Amino acid sequence: MSNIIGIVNYGISGNIHSVKNAIERAGGDTLIINSTSDFGDVDKIVIPGVGSFKGAMQGLENDGFIDLLKEFDKPILGICLGMQILSEIGFEFGKTKGLGLLNAEVKPILCNEKIPHMGFNKIQVVHSNKVLKGLEAEEFYFMHSYEVVNYTDISALTKYGNHDFVSAIHKGNLYGVQFHPEKSREAGIKLLSNFIQLKVN
Amino acid sequence: MNTRIIAKLDVKPPYVVKPVHFEGLRKMGKPSELAKKYYDQGADELFYIDIVSSLYQRKILSEGISETASELLIPFAVGGGVNSIDDFSKMFHMGADKVVINTYAVQQDPNIINKAAAVFGSQAVVVNIEAKKWHQNWECYTDCGRIQSGKDVMEWVKEVEQRGAGEILLQSVDTDGRRRGFDIELSKEVVKSVDIPVVVASGAGSLEDIKVLIETASPSGVAIASLLHYDQVTIQDIKNYLKNSGIMVSL
Repeated sequence: MSNIIGIVNYGISGNIHSVKNAIERAGGDTLIINSTSDFGDVDKIVIPGVGSFKGAMQGLENDGFIDLLKEFDKPILGICLGMQILSEIGFEFGKTKGLGLLNAEVKPILCNEKIPHMGFNKIQVVHSNKVLKGLEAEEFYFMHSYEVVNYTDISALTKYGNHDFVSAIHKGNLYGVQFHPEKSREAGIKLLSNFIQLKVN
Repeated sequence: MNTRIIAKLDVKPPYVVKPVHFEGLRKMGKPSELAKKYYDQGADELFYIDIVSSLYQRKILSEGISETASELLIPFAVGGGVNSIDDFSKMFHMGADKVVINTYAVQQDPNIINKAAAVFGSQAVVVNIEAKKWHQNWECYTDCGRIQSGKDVMEWVKEVEQRGAGEILLQSVDTDGRRRGFDIELSKEVVKSVDIPVVVASGAGSLEDIKVLIETASPSGVAIASLLHYDQVTIQDIKNYLKNSGIMVSL
């Protein structure tokens, strides 16, 4: 059975090559999704995260990807902004509608520390999932100014200052991580490998 | 929060060089080889600065950047001669996760910071400050510490934060490459002035210098160059020392 990992390419911004490199290092076969016709050729999807919530949604809309992502019934992994846009609404550069796959809103990180939150930080697993398996004690690289506010699908939290924010989510076929596995050394590769090995129903 | 320990490569293509006071260069090795070495030693991030592209008024040379990026599973910041949104784009495509800008924003058009933040997100925009003390204040320099700008460092850092920069790389023309310690006063003032992360560079001569900087100025990160290039200490040595001194680092 084929197991092609599609990487959504939306808009001008960003280093999706590092995501591609990391997935390949983790043993996955990749396909960059540049047009709507590519969706039929992939078995799983990774939404990388670069840019702003508003810019990302505009990019997805221009490319005609929004409905295809909503209808995709196999595993999706959202990374950083890629997880954030799974939410109903985002508040970066004004109020923007997200993909609405997750009952959540995306707001500025609520704490008095330096923002963006940047660097390696621990995750505290609340409800483990297959993608986080074996990684409960690891540190991952974070680089973000906004957080997903959700109460129902939390897999892990991370502490920044005195504030705990959602660092990983899971809901059905949807997985999301606020950190960057492609920038998190071997722990990140292990996470991507877990995602690659998920069984598709 | 862990203090980030960052390896900084000052590059005059095709070599990593060691500037003293941003002048007098010594060849230290190839960027991709040093990057791999510091990655293996446990660096949290890597900064790659082409230190001559602005001065020579040429674009940053792409050779070596993609090669360096592909080795790393940690964030990679690249700078040197950036003067358009297109340059930012090109650097991301070469494998950069963050782009570092100084000369163009100071001398020509600070709006480039706003534009880049809107397109790529603040977290991807790093403003490099080259500060030199003048009486009781610090002035911004450009072109690798050669050209005065007349801009006051404390005003400029607040302005770049306002414009959407996500991080400051703070270098000191006075202490750079001398390995006699950081400009602590400058670091303290800048960290206090802004709410975005500040990475302090210029001056690490010993493990203790790094500890003193973190304890007194609380930067989000410390960028190390010369100290590593001479193989006197490794990133792992630095992290172990800091951890034993009660400072949080990622091991």
